[in-house]
Amino acid sequence: MMKKTITALLAGLVLAAGAQAAYPDKPVTIIVPFPPGGSTDMLARIMTPKMSEKLGQPVVVENKPGATGAIGATQVKRAAPDGYTVLCASIGMWAANPFLQKNLAYDPAKDFDLLTVAVKSPNVLVTNPNVPAKDVKELVAYLKQKPNKVTFPSSGAGSSDHLSIALFWMLTDTTGIHVPYKGGGPAIADLVAGHAEVSFQNLNNVIGHIKAGKLRALAVTSEKRAALLPDVPTMVELGYKDMVVTSWQALGAPKGLPADVKNTLHAAMMAALKDPETAKKLTDPGFEVTASTPEEFEKFLQSELAKWKHVIEVGKITLD
Amino acid sequence: MSSLIKHPRDFYAGLMYSAVGLGAIIIARDYNMGTSVRMGPGYFPTMLGGLLVLVGAISMVRSFFNKGEGIPAFSWKEIVLVLGSVVLFGVLVRGAGLVPSLILLVIVSAWASDQFRLKTALLLAVLTSVFSALVFVKGLGLPFAIIGPWFGI
Amino acid sequence: MDILANLSLGFSTAFSLANLFYCFVGVVLGTLIGVLPGLGPVATIAMLLPVTFSFQPVTALIMLAGIFYGAQYGGSTTAILVNLPGEASSVITALDGHAMAKRGEAGKALATAAIGSFIAGTIATFLIALFAPPLAEMALKFGPAEYFSLLVLGLVVSIVLAHGSLLHALGMIFLGLLLGIIGTDVNSGAERFTFGAPWLADGVNFVVLAMGMYGLGEIINNLEKKDKRDLMLKSVSGLRLSWAEFKHILPSVLRGTTVGSFLGILPGGGAVLSSFASYAVEKKVAKSTVPFGEGAIEGVAGPESANNAGSQTSFIPMLTLGIPSNPTMAIMIGAMMIHSIQPGPSVLSEQPALFWGLIASMWIGNLFLIVLNLPLIGLWVKLITAPYHLMFPVIIVFCAIGVISINNTEWDVFMMAFFGLAGYVFSKLECEPAPMLLGFILGPMMEEYLRRALLMSSGDFSVFFTRPLSATLLVVAAVAMVVVLMPSISKKREETFKE
Repeated sequence: MMKKTITALLAGLVLAAGAQAAYPDKPVTIIVPFPPGGSTDMLARIMTPKMSEKLGQPVVVENKPGATGAIGATQVKRAAPDGYTVLCASIGMWAANPFLQKNLAYDPAKDFDLLTVAVKSPNVLVTNPNVPAKDVKELVAYLKQKPNKVTFPSSGAGSSDHLSIALFWMLTDTTGIHVPYKGGGPAIADLVAGHAEVSFQNLNNVIGHIKAGKLRALAVTSEKRAALLPDVPTMVELGYKDMVVTSWQALGAPKGLPADVKNTLHAAMMAALKDPETAKKLTDPGFEVTASTPEEFEKFLQSELAKWKHVIEVGKITLD
Repeated sequence: MSSLIKHPRDFYAGLMYSAVGLGAIIIARDYNMGTSVRMGPGYFPTMLGGLLVLVGAISMVRSFFNKGEGIPAFSWKEIVLVLGSVVLFGVLVRGAGLVPSLILLVIVSAWASDQFRLKTALLLAVLTSVFSALVFVKGLGLPFAIIGPWFGI
Repeated sequence: MDILANLSLGFSTAFSLANLFYCFVGVVLGTLIGVLPGLGPVATIAMLLPVTFSFQPVTALIMLAGIFYGAQYGGSTTAILVNLPGEASSVITALDGHAMAKRGEAGKALATAAIGSFIAGTIATFLIALFAPPLAEMALKFGPAEYFSLLVLGLVVSIVLAHGSLLHALGMIFLGLLLGIIGTDVNSGAERFTFGAPWLADGVNFVVLAMGMYGLGEIINNLEKKDKRDLMLKSVSGLRLSWAEFKHILPSVLRGTTVGSFLGILPGGGAVLSSFASYAVEKKVAKSTVPFGEGAIEGVAGPESANNAGSQTSFIPMLTLGIPSNPTMAIMIGAMMIHSIQPGPSVLSEQPALFWGLIASMWIGNLFLIVLNLPLIGLWVKLITAPYHLMFPVIIVFCAIGVISINNTEWDVFMMAFFGLAGYVFSKLECEPAPMLLGFILGPMMEEYLRRALLMSSGDFSVFFTRPLSATLLVVAAVAMVVVLMPSISKKREETFKE
């Protein structure tokens, strides 16, 4: 105890910046509210080495899965706002849960100090090559010709691809059968095998299949064309200007972080995300590094919340 | 009543199946049943609950006719100490940390054996918990405090 | 002679010093986490992923793959020694393996598992080398209807697992099916039987259930038998197999390898079925001198081979199509992408050194495993002859740490205690846990595929009969049902004659 105080005092003196300059004086924990191995977990683990280097303290990833991120997020909300507990979660936890889960114990906009939107990844509209539609126009015609017959697999009820499908049906005035799976892997497997027909999937999960001709890409849902698929148009280009969907991962901390702690943490995250080596590890699997400021995150979260609230309410998406 | 039950094992197992099955049916009434072609979340559990009630009923009826051995007595001391030590660990591990909660786990559970000696148990407890701290926390990097926040270090 | 050129490319890649070393590290780590309950290969690979950033891609994959199949290998050790199945496939190994251990034949059981796994791993590796692409295409023929029919077959077969009363086997299967339903429903997203508790939202974890029912339940049972157990284990016989014994188990190993290799390819949970299916096959086919469930060596040889063959062939869809067949393969795909390799059919043509190097390394890894594990058997067997009153608290410690490390929540520890009580009560009522665990694993999958198949066919039940594969599986299930029920019917008849 004594030794620690002295070290802290010394650190304070050296930096001549008061006692709080000692942050961080112990390991920082990033809570990932999903199981190990998913894309959010992977992002956190790719970021940690550079973050610890910048902070001078180990940064450890702790998985706290359950209830689409709600369990881990609630735990972070209840943690002390001292900068030692950080949350790294995806669009589902930040923007969709509030409108899908009835007894949600956190409010994404109020319970957290928003730090940064780390990465985004565009979704791509893909079909099995046997579907007789070469572009979005033909697909819409095909869907209108076979109302409520075409199957749309997703990685789960309430997942971002489920929401994309619902938004697509709304904007194109079409229908289909939504078929939820346990994760993206099995959904894509059935899509490739031809047991299911049309879906929106994260670009990184399907790029290999598109290149091999096992899936046909009709459009991407980002604002600009994807670097990996320069010939595939965006939905915006095709006239659906509201069909902009990206899945994204962002970091936050319990509400009430001291300003300097917040700055230190954010700087460490920026250092990690903007490091060329780390960035390559992220762009290779298809992430786009966003590395936004807290203010940008704030604005982005509001617009995402509004968008998904609308889609979930109009699309009558419920979990029961 | 008990003189009628010739096969207590069948009877109580049947009672357990039926109770669980009935419970499942009652709880599943809150879930959307759907139809047999478009099943809702309530369909499968209700069906299973029904099958369990059926199996339970057959087992109970059978117990009045077939003869079987009685159910051996429960060893309450062992149950309470073994399961209690595990629960204690769950309660303490966050606050007290891995090493103190494991020491308690080992001592309480070791007590369940009739060859229990406090000294050996203590030694075993210390060795096991230090080994675990080294392997699981230091080696494999599991996120536990070795000594928890309750001790203020 | 393409295959020879490919394999020589593979072996020349795998025999580089770094690759050999990390293959070794992977299988050792895998064995370690396989022996320890709880911490599974997925979590371990995720934690080690950042370490592999600086490696060559092929080296990273070789090490991560080694962790996966090493864990499958190690999982049987605790199942045999202390009746502690750390994963679904070891439940079956525990049935006869632990019974053998109780008879003082732990060494023989472990040797059987090791040798069976090695032979299975070798054959499966060559299967991958020779037939990976066509096998992967075959796996894609399995849609929701086919999976449902396969699971029906699995369920029918599971009745064979019980060696007691048929009625109780049914009761336990239904109980397991119901237990598996707890949590969020895949098809609708609704939470079921969670009583509003967030820690139940993702259902009961298999390890929590198995550690409670088998681990804790067994400990209480042993304690009430006082010191009889120690005496039993004192008479340890034979650490290795004789040539005659080897010849005796070889057919079981080969049957297990066949069953496991086939089921392992199927991405939708076929691998879980492999050891169960192999056990059922052995129970019907093998002419064992010891009844199954009481320490039949075939009941260890078949399922262990099936399990290991299945874990090798589960790489096929991942390597040739970029489709993950289980969570471990999903994270391997992630690892490939971080190393700038696009998983998919192009891996074979664009990265031949990686593809063949990984396959060659699997065989080398299997060799490491057997060289590593055979000498360890003596040590393991010594370990379980330690006085039980010193050993069981340590087992409880490993169960508790293993269980809390899965989801990082103490609720899992409390649930394990609850299942410990349940397991103890079941043993008093002579209700066997194995059928229940199979029901627990199959239940959610069956419901998922049934509802998905009907959803996709717009509610047309005929999909199960008009699709040839699905229809075939259902016919096999019907035949199996008859075969399963036959002995018990004839036994009933015998009983009536007696009276």
